[in-house]
Amino acid sequence: MKSRRISWPEIGLLYRSEVRAALRERGIVVQSLLVPLALYPVILWLLFTAMTFVRGQQDAAPSRLVLDGLPAAQAELRTRLADDERFELVEIGEVQSGAVDGVREGAVDLVVHLRAAAASTFIADNFVADLTYDAARERSATARQRFEAELETYRSERLEAAGLQRGVGADTWRQVRIERESTASDVEMGAYVLGLIVPMLMVLMIAMGCVMPAIDTTAGERERSTWETLLTMGVARTSIVAAKYLYVATFGTLAGLLNLVALSLSLGALLSALGGGDALEVRLPLAALPLIALGSVLLALFIAAGMMLLAAFARSFKEAQSMTGPFLLLVMLPVFLTMAPDLHLDARWALVPIANVVLLFRDAIGGVYHPGLIALVLGAQALAAALVVQLARWVFGFEDVFTGSYAGSLFRLLKQRLRARPRIGSTP
Amino acid sequence: MTAMSDTATTEPAGSEPEVVVHADGLSKTFYDAGRGAVEAVRDVSFRAHRGEVFGLLGANGAGKTTTMRMLSTVLTPSAGDARVAGVSVREDARAVRRSLGFFSASTALYPRLTARETLELFARINGFPSERVAARVDALIERFEIGPFAKARIETLSSGMKQRVSIARTLAHDPPVLIFDEPTVGLDVLSALALQDVVRELRAAGKTILFSTHILSEAEKLCDRIAIIHAGEVLVDDTLDGLRARTGAHYLEDIFVHYVRDADEGARRALEERTARELAALEG
Repeated sequence: MKSRRISWPEIGLLYRSEVRAALRERGIVVQSLLVPLALYPVILWLLFTAMTFVRGQQDAAPSRLVLDGLPAAQAELRTRLADDERFELVEIGEVQSGAVDGVREGAVDLVVHLRAAAASTFIADNFVADLTYDAARERSATARQRFEAELETYRSERLEAAGLQRGVGADTWRQVRIERESTASDVEMGAYVLGLIVPMLMVLMIAMGCVMPAIDTTAGERERSTWETLLTMGVARTSIVAAKYLYVATFGTLAGLLNLVALSLSLGALLSALGGGDALEVRLPLAALPLIALGSVLLALFIAAGMMLLAAFARSFKEAQSMTGPFLLLVMLPVFLTMAPDLHLDARWALVPIANVVLLFRDAIGGVYHPGLIALVLGAQALAAALVVQLARWVFGFEDVFTGSYAGSLFRLLKQRLRARPRIGSTP
Repeated sequence: MTAMSDTATTEPAGSEPEVVVHADGLSKTFYDAGRGAVEAVRDVSFRAHRGEVFGLLGANGAGKTTTMRMLSTVLTPSAGDARVAGVSVREDARAVRRSLGFFSASTALYPRLTARETLELFARINGFPSERVAARVDALIERFEIGPFAKARIETLSSGMKQRVSIARTLAHDPPVLIFDEPTVGLDVLSALALQDVVRELRAAGKTILFSTHILSEAEKLCDRIAIIHAGEVLVDDTLDGLRARTGAHYLEDIFVHYVRDADEGARRALEERTARELAALEG
């Protein structure tokens, strides 16, 4: 049996043909190239703009407030609220269904019932404020926050005035005061935020970049009846599988790298637009880019093999979409694990595929480089990719899987293999 | 040199035609979860010579496509072997694939490549000398009148245009052996006749053609030798005149029915005898 050998010229021809065809497929171009590069920053910008608009609308809307039982000594509170354009005082009588029902129905946002508190030797006319609001309604929840903040200011000013009358300074009666100082610079804060966002988006985009090509080159070919045409070509089957695999991995890598470019160019501006940019200096360090690019290639090699492995069992595009969907979620699982507090890249995490690369990206963005750990991560991820490729090769070695006549799934095949079902027709 | 053959193929006068395809005891068993082992083809043997159209005639499900797929190395035989242009399908499947062109209803074209790109790809991938690819593609484009749409993507072509590109694709690397597996299924009358003309031209150019069909008139018109295949077995293999002489029937339809009924009758009798033996054994 001579044709199991790899022939790079054959792979090159098939690979170029796959890529050329893929670049003419709108679905693949959009999902694997345009979304990571252009659409996705634009979508994010639109999303942020919409959020800002909604927030602006919420800020502009006055909180409708019913103030009930205000002691005469606190008349100033009413005056302050009436003068504040963020509040609109509503009389109880104006709310036909009653104050509480009015909150429930959305006619008013907050009902404040004031009642006298126990007498204090320090301050007279103390009071308790009972607030009734609808936590499930944004405008009502905002009204509560605004009123509490206003009341806190009012309370502090009264206490300060009472203290001054008795010759006690604010520092004395406050006793405990909080002064905050973060040791993180703006650059470090930017790196922290990027470290959370960038690795997650990179893994997501690489996986998204692999999905369409993986499905198109396996189940898609079967659906279009070109699979049998391919099988009659005068090339080794290992060359066919290798060319397809490299094509899928290329698009995954491209999606990741284009996404990286888009993030580098747009994330700072996006966060600034959100107001976060004032406190952060958001930029991807140039030194981190080669490492992120290398990690992206390894991630793409791993994810592409997994996607093709699952899509190989599908006989239609839709079937393949259902089969690869759970894999997408599975790929994201290690990413979410890395968000646990105080989790850092160490020798143990360096061996966990995907999570290791995510933590490596995070370190690189933060300017942390441990050569030993970097080598361990890259080695472990390369090994994981090689193992999945080996599994894919083994699966494609079954004639009925390769020719598309196998009716089961990967798990069924593995089960049958464990039962030593004959390996029918390992066609070269 | 023509689009049908890029190389001269002359047989010395008076010599025996060269055997180009030799199937020897080909069998194929599939494993099905519900049915277990299914023997689709059993012990199929035949020889096809240079410049001959060898017909494989059988009803749907008779085993024609499985046989053709084994010969084209899409499937590996469970038993037996076949040599195509002197190469064993078991020993060097890649070399076998390079020496044949496979055309069937299930071998579609790549929709996103143009007609010219398709022909170039298939010529190159099947090992046609690089320096001659452009001339070969031009010749095929001219012969099949593909020129006006050579730069159009396959997905934009009509089914008639696609069929012309598909035949040209099969010939792109100028293979000595051509397999046509039910090639006229789904074609209109004129397209089917055009394809038959192509097959005749290829025969004249010295190609060996394996032609599977269930359409008796097609086999009658085109094939130099006919093998009747039924339930996975070749029942007979001869020229049309030879088949007439064996059966005394003139029309291929009568010849076909003669062999298939005989085979079914034989199978029925064998089943009855086996059942009787088993019952006797149980009673005894």
